[in-house]
Amino acid sequence: MGDSVEGRGSTLRVAGEKFSAEVLSGLRGEPRVEFRGTISSSNPAEVLNPFVEAVHAQLVARRASEISVDFLDLEFCNSSGFKSFVFWLEQIRRLPEAQRYRLRFISSAGRRWQRVSLLALTSFGGENVTIETLSTSRPACPVRPWPAGGAQS
Amino acid sequence: MTTERSVAELSDPQRRQAVGGEVIHLMLRMRPPWVFIDEIRRFTESFCACACPGANREAGMALAVHELMQNAITTSRGEDIDLVFEVEPRADRVSVSITNRCASEEFETLRDRIERMNREPDALAHYLEVMRETPSKDRGGLGLARVRFEAQLSLSAAWVGGRVTVRAEGRIRVPALHAIGGTHV
Repeated sequence: MGDSVEGRGSTLRVAGEKFSAEVLSGLRGEPRVEFRGTISSSNPAEVLNPFVEAVHAQLVARRASEISVDFLDLEFCNSSGFKSFVFWLEQIRRLPEAQRYRLRFISSAGRRWQRVSLLALTSFGGENVTIETLSTSRPACPVRPWPAGGAQS
Repeated sequence: MTTERSVAELSDPQRRQAVGGEVIHLMLRMRPPWVFIDEIRRFTESFCACACPGANREAGMALAVHELMQNAITTSRGEDIDLVFEVEPRADRVSVSITNRCASEEFETLRDRIERMNREPDALAHYLEVMRETPSKDRGGLGLARVRFEAQLSLSAAWVGGRVTVRAEGRIRVPALHAIGGTHV
């Protein structure tokens, strides 16, 4: 599978050799990005950073206050991939304070590396980061694309 | 391995008794393409869970192996990479060493990076500093700091005969990490 970022139509998604990420809607229409697989290639930022920029642009355009970043099915993320989340927080910091939104990480209690990696990201991101740890599998939620009205240009 | 029986062959109570005192030594020599790095990490995690039962050390050691292997693959130019994993229960010590071919200039860069890291006694402070300084679009730069803070291991490097050995070692039983800032729900 080649690396690709798709931003056309109503769905934002990215796929690497062993991972994928897609922005979906939660039960109340709030944005949620689900990461799946393993981010372990030599420079995943080549694909992840453009994806982050596209998602960031949509969140700013829609004045979102928060996005859930779902790690429940993310088996591992290497430090090179981790830098893309640092990049994301840097993008948020560059916004005027009134426009900043939060990253709400949903982590799996069964994947211990997530707890410590997100601790570090919390220290970096401060009030722009929230962590929710789930000990069970992802709650049932209908899969819907986000944004519902299509991506704004 | 230098134990008489494979740790993995023992039942849980037997395993705990066997690993309670002996030094556990595992050595792998490989020439892996990039695609196998996840398998190496998973094997390390599984092995460490057996070798350090109840210590919850396997995730950190697996992360350390992944990051150090990733660096080794980049500099080894396709030549052999040696991994040595050791657990000394009585000494409360665990370590992993990665040895690979490395040019002298690359070793000097690595050595300077480790020395700079070790000058900052606060592992989290250094990790955050590297996050701020490392260009997000460039490959690498966070791995060593990540191993030091997240895996709670001390790092060192030595260069002999054109090969570098990066060693990460620490205690088997470590306190939980705490964060500053943010919200946990």
